[in-house]
Amino acid sequence: MKWHRGLTGYGIALLLIITLNFLLPRLLPGDPLLAIYGEEALLTMPAEQQALLREKLGLDGSLVHQYFFYWHNLLQGDLGYSYSYKAPVAAVLLGALPWTLLLVGTSLLLSTWLGLILGLESGWRRGKTLDGVLLTGLVFLGGIPDFFLGMLLLIFFGVTFKLFPLSGSMTLYSGLKGFPLVLDILWHLVLPVVSLTLVRLSGNYLVARNTMIATVNEPFIFTAKAKGVPEAGIRYRHAGKHVLLPVVTQLGVGLGRLVTGSLFIEMVFSYPGLGLLLRRAVEARDYPLLTGAAILLALGVLMGSFLVEIIYSRIDPRLKHAH
Amino acid sequence: MRSKKIKFSFLLLFSLVLGGLLLTGCGVKEPDAATGHPSGIEVYTIADAAGDWGFPSPYGHYDRGPGILRMSFLFDTLVWRDATAYVPALAENWEYLEEETAYLFELRPDVTWHDGEPFTARDVAFTFRYLKEHPYSMADTTAVAAVEVLDDYRVIIKLHEPFAPFLARIAGAVPILPEHIWQSVENPAEYSQPEAVIGTGPYKLADYNREQGSYLYLANEDYYLGEPLVKQLRFVKLNPQLAGAALLRGEINYTPIPPEMLDELLGQDISIVKADYDFAVKLMFNHTKEPFSGKEFRQGLAYAINRQELVDIAKRGHGLAGSPGLLSETSPWYNGGVPAYGYDQDRALALFEKAGYHYENGKLVKDGKPAMFTLLFDPDTEREAQLLEKQLEEVGIELRLRSVETKTRDSLVSDWQFDLALLGHGGLGTDPAFYTQVIVGPSFHSARYTANEQLNNLIKDQLKTMDRESRLGLLKKIQEIYAEEMPCLTLYYPDNYFAHDGQVELFNTWQGVATGVPLPLNKLSFVQRGGIPQ
Repeated sequence: MKWHRGLTGYGIALLLIITLNFLLPRLLPGDPLLAIYGEEALLTMPAEQQALLREKLGLDGSLVHQYFFYWHNLLQGDLGYSYSYKAPVAAVLLGALPWTLLLVGTSLLLSTWLGLILGLESGWRRGKTLDGVLLTGLVFLGGIPDFFLGMLLLIFFGVTFKLFPLSGSMTLYSGLKGFPLVLDILWHLVLPVVSLTLVRLSGNYLVARNTMIATVNEPFIFTAKAKGVPEAGIRYRHAGKHVLLPVVTQLGVGLGRLVTGSLFIEMVFSYPGLGLLLRRAVEARDYPLLTGAAILLALGVLMGSFLVEIIYSRIDPRLKHAH
Repeated sequence: MRSKKIKFSFLLLFSLVLGGLLLTGCGVKEPDAATGHPSGIEVYTIADAAGDWGFPSPYGHYDRGPGILRMSFLFDTLVWRDATAYVPALAENWEYLEEETAYLFELRPDVTWHDGEPFTARDVAFTFRYLKEHPYSMADTTAVAAVEVLDDYRVIIKLHEPFAPFLARIAGAVPILPEHIWQSVENPAEYSQPEAVIGTGPYKLADYNREQGSYLYLANEDYYLGEPLVKQLRFVKLNPQLAGAALLRGEINYTPIPPEMLDELLGQDISIVKADYDFAVKLMFNHTKEPFSGKEFRQGLAYAINRQELVDIAKRGHGLAGSPGLLSETSPWYNGGVPAYGYDQDRALALFEKAGYHYENGKLVKDGKPAMFTLLFDPDTEREAQLLEKQLEEVGIELRLRSVETKTRDSLVSDWQFDLALLGHGGLGTDPAFYTQVIVGPSFHSARYTANEQLNNLIKDQLKTMDRESRLGLLKKIQEIYAEEMPCLTLYYPDNYFAHDGQVELFNTWQGVATGVPLPLNKLSFVQRGGIPQ
């Protein structure tokens, strides 16, 4: 395994992304000061103060000046100061990160795992009733936008049947601690995770199913059958390993959508997370926050695909020798 | 067996959480033994869509109404406003000393900061000194020349010149800071220690959670107007589409609601507050170029536009057709006598002819060129734009609709790169200094209309007119001239509704809360019944 080679590639990618991240938001049209401070605020703000703010925000400096300034801070772990949140960018991002990881991570794992299992079973039984039902049902679910499904779930299970909370990620100021707090957080997690999982399920399911269909007629399956391996064993141990590969690839792709993919769900359920944060950063043209979030995202995606590469070589020993 | 287990654990989970909810209570009333009235409200929960409005210190809150409001529960100003007038806050009495161009404030002697330190005139003087160095973005104190401490409880604030909005924009808007805490603070925006929220207000901050968009406030039992009515105040984030359901369930006590939700809530045991009109949607004319530089043409357009139809169709009736003087009838400075510009196509045509236009095949034409203009708007006002296109087509004017992103529209308008543009802004409910700023001020919201000398002079004069009645007279005149000159057309004021459970008496504050926030959440409502201090 040529570790350093892979790492160099990732390093260059990260460098490019960071540079792009710096440039892109600054090329957006409009007056950033107006966006950062909002209409009402600027209307009542005296001109001297506006000039002061412009200076403070570095908006008058050249792009090169801003870029050097940016790297200097970045290397110190300082992502800048968010003027729309009036707090350090790193603190704002880190506050929202755990909730996004919980929400999207859970649904990513669930949809991958469920997609794999259902795809395996469906592909094995190609043409049977279960396959038909699963295929139609999951493709249908996959076609529904996640926020719409979320709203439906919320209306039925939240508003009508009152089984689940209407918003948030936990009961605020309830004084819950320890295990009850964990249960409370899980209770708030159910509907958003179900909506995200159901919508994402179909992609993994289809990949797993198609691979399974292609695998069923492979010689090694015949061999296993001939050896008298029990059917479940063939499905999960022999064919399953084969099907796992493209599904893991999907997982790598899915990591990229980790944050942005949950934006609408976060809106519907008022769930605190990076998606909402990003949206607000775009609205307010909060440069430091935008670039900070994008860097975090890029790091996440690069780390994710690096991780997938490692997993890949574990589950597919051929890759260790292939060149 | 397995499904039973799942069911059981689910039930357990559900009941645990429900139990937790019940234990914390959702606004439980306890009757007072003597009067039979509720003596206090344990918990009152205020919801809105964004939730997070910043750390509620004067330099930490976001510069938007709800951020200012959250801060106003912790910090007091010298004077305050209730539903109809200025009322004492940190100052018991105040007086304008005409000869000295100064205000004398007599402060309450019984006020302490949340940390127990006494509040004195030195804190007031310190605050104004501190604001000179570190401006508070929501209150411009440049009108203040000096602050003089007479003794512990008397202070004089001297002005450079008479400044009519002083009470509204300075004395009633500047949160007074404790000198013993802020004197050593160099960077107030990044100061978020627990001491940063020590004020004199009726509530103390117990928790602020940016991610959850929530705040927990506890009553300041030593508050000088008496112990607050609500013991625990919570601010939470909630999807506005679910606000009605949450209110009916008792999970929250107050929420803004979209007008469409009104019918759903009307039959229920829910109180509704309709906000005073503060926001106006305007049709901007580019009066720096032909034909909009001519008054007759602008007036003609005003007659050709059916503003009521815009309200009825674009806002589904949830709004009020605009007054040509810009201020709405809910403003205390409103002039009902300005020319109405009622929908009248004939008068429009007559005015267009006066501006040099004539008709050819049903099209308005001048010097061989048909009247064809671009209307700039953002996606929020698309329906309004389509209606205007239709209405103006009836008088022979062709509109080309150009929808752009809000920020792009703002910068195009700012650079005068448009013919007609749809644009809205708030702030009309506050002191009329704001109103005059959107006539002659440099901001893109403003008509930026300085062609009328009389109007310019009146606007300057009203700022220096300390007598309220005289100022009202000047403002009425300003509205008349504004309507006559028609620098831009007020199309409508949208309705804003707030639903609450009625436990606390909420009201619209005269000229808005603090700096002029048009929300029915005045801290006085949470301090005493009826919201009027004794």
